[in-house]
Amino acid sequence: MANARAIVKRRKAVRNIRKITRTMELIATARFKKAMDRATEAAAYTQKIAEIVADLSQGSLKFSHPLLQSRDTVKNSVLLVITSNRGLCGGYNGGVLRKATACIRESESNRRVEVAGKRGINYLKFKGQAIAESYTHFEDRPTFEEVEVLADRYIEEFVSGKIDRLDVAYMKFESASRQSPVLEQLLPIGQLAGTGEGEQKSNIDYEFLPSAQEILEEIVPAAFKSQMLKCFLDAAVSEQIFRMVAMKGATENAGDMISSLSRKYNRARQSQITNELAEIIGGMAALE
Amino acid sequence: MATATDTNVGKVSQIIGSTFDAVFSEENLPDIYNALQIDQELKGAHIKVTGEVQQHLGGGRVRCVALGSTDGMVRGMDAVDTGGPITVPVGKETLGRVFNLLGEPIDGRGEVNTDERWSIHRDPPALVDLSAKSELFETGIKVIDLLTPFVRGGKAGLFGGAGLGKTVILTELIARIASAHGGYSVFAGVGERTREGNDLWLEMQETEIGDTGRHVIEQTCMVFGQMNEPPGARLRVALSALTMAEWFRDTTGTDTLLFVDNIFRFSQAGSEVSALLGRMPSAAGYQPTLGTELGELQERITSTNKGAITSVQAVYVPADDPTDPAPATAFSHLDAFLYLERSITEKGIYPAVDPLASSSRILDPQYVGDHHYNVARRVQQNLQRYRELQDIIAILGVDELSEEDKLVVHRARRIERFLSQPFLVAEVFTGKPGNITPIADTIRSFEEICDGKWDHLPEQAFMYVGVVEEAEEQAKEMEAKLK
Repeated sequence: MANARAIVKRRKAVRNIRKITRTMELIATARFKKAMDRATEAAAYTQKIAEIVADLSQGSLKFSHPLLQSRDTVKNSVLLVITSNRGLCGGYNGGVLRKATACIRESESNRRVEVAGKRGINYLKFKGQAIAESYTHFEDRPTFEEVEVLADRYIEEFVSGKIDRLDVAYMKFESASRQSPVLEQLLPIGQLAGTGEGEQKSNIDYEFLPSAQEILEEIVPAAFKSQMLKCFLDAAVSEQIFRMVAMKGATENAGDMISSLSRKYNRARQSQITNELAEIIGGMAALE
Repeated sequence: MATATDTNVGKVSQIIGSTFDAVFSEENLPDIYNALQIDQELKGAHIKVTGEVQQHLGGGRVRCVALGSTDGMVRGMDAVDTGGPITVPVGKETLGRVFNLLGEPIDGRGEVNTDERWSIHRDPPALVDLSAKSELFETGIKVIDLLTPFVRGGKAGLFGGAGLGKTVILTELIARIASAHGGYSVFAGVGERTREGNDLWLEMQETEIGDTGRHVIEQTCMVFGQMNEPPGARLRVALSALTMAEWFRDTTGTDTLLFVDNIFRFSQAGSEVSALLGRMPSAAGYQPTLGTELGELQERITSTNKGAITSVQAVYVPADDPTDPAPATAFSHLDAFLYLERSITEKGIYPAVDPLASSSRILDPQYVGDHHYNVARRVQQNLQRYRELQDIIAILGVDELSEEDKLVVHRARRIERFLSQPFLVAEVFTGKPGNITPIADTIRSFEEICDGKWDHLPEQAFMYVGVVEEAEEQAKEMEAKLK
């Protein structure tokens, strides 16, 4: 059996893969902790600010902000897809991209697609989807400054009427064991009320100083920006979790494969020896 | 040289298993390969054994292989030299009949009287007489026509381990080819189950040739030396069948079909005989003369300028190891070989032909044309890439593949399933009527799958259909069932 050699070679290759996947699992675990801390810190702030905006926009106050107005006809819209730069993270990109492509297929309006992350860029390019803008600088620690640049541009475009709507497809981080790909509308902000989770019933009577208008002017863009940052932070955490899980699975699979290959190799080796022995003994017997 | 006479009688001097020694007078030794007859009443039992001389041991002793059971034989019995090798009846009278290796009918329908009897040991056709044609032989089985096209007048082998469906494919080919074929067929049952031989015989009596109203059996002659027979019988039965086929080729000049199930048993019987004759075993315990024995048989199965023999042979692969000397020796004699793979039967795909390990000499643009060749190569490339990716998929999952590779996997899985096909003889198992796909449709279907025209159909829709449009129908049916 000449294939004993081939089995050894293959087993070596699988061992190397397992070494890599195990390392990646450890790295992902470490990064996940950091990313989760950042995300939970940001989450509290985002939550509160979203509640306030929701309260204000629903409240009895008679004023409005351009970012809160939903438009009757949606002519131009933007879809921002947040994926990872790196692979080896299981179904993470697949899930987000499935959501995104479904959205692209269904949309009737003129939709501009913007993508963050090399994986998403490659996928959509392969699918023949035109990409208006792509970003690859978001790593696992997205900063407020980086996101603000994007957010400012969207605000400017929305206010000036170039776009009527902004959706983001990303992996929402719900808990360490639960993440799901979602499609969220970030602009106009009105829809955001839903995130307040029924707490807006507590109709607090706000007192505005110096004036409600001035405060709204400040708080609405801030709410939008923080919401957007949260999307990126969520995505970063989810990516690490997915990678962790995928690599854990891969390490286990590689382990299984190694043991099955070892068994195969031992069997091949054993039968080779048996065969040779039988031949020698048979030859001896025939000579006697 | 001893001259054989009617009265050249020797005495049995030793019996070991299915070999025996006989003593003749030094001047009147029977020739090698001569048949010896033992025909005697002994203690109320009638013993009739034919032996074939294999060795001259010196001192007037010859060692023979018994071609029947040696049960009840005793030393001192008379062994009559028949003066020549075993002969079998040849001629059109043999059609529709079933024989054993000695040319005796075993179907219980009386004697067969032919004008001629030919010796089963013959020389292969001379070099100059061989036919050099290479023409495709259509079977209507997709995987065979596309990837391992058979050669008209050539030899095809079905390799596979135990229970992978060699015999089913062989019977299927008989049902397909013989029923559409005008010429004669010869079936050699070598060391396989007697039941299968019986099934085949009954089936041939029922199957009609085209719409001529005649039955396949009327154009077929069958020779059996099955598992229960001693090694000597299994070693010679292939030659007996081949001799009958040679007569059809040389005398009638028609295309003759020769089916052999199973050529491995021939080698195996040879190995048993070899051990009994006291030869030293060679690689993996086989006889040292393995190559010679098989060569002598295979070289006779050829097409000459007088007529053609197209043969299909099943070859058992012991322990699924194709490097075993017996199947490995058989490889080199064939024009087309199909390798049946266990992992494919485990997926429930029949015929379980391994599309990458199987090949054919005429899968070459020169014979099948550029289009056929290119489609076949594309299918193979696709499956090859899928196989390479399998380790990655097993460890990391499909999600980690690049988009191109995902598409390869997507199509390869469909192609894999599309290589299955309902068989005429397997209707009871699949519940679907047999399907004959013309080769042009086969090529077109595979080309379209490779082009991605049918990517939208679910994998399961490709199981057991003929042309690709049937897959589409099956997909619709499946959808309707779900609702």
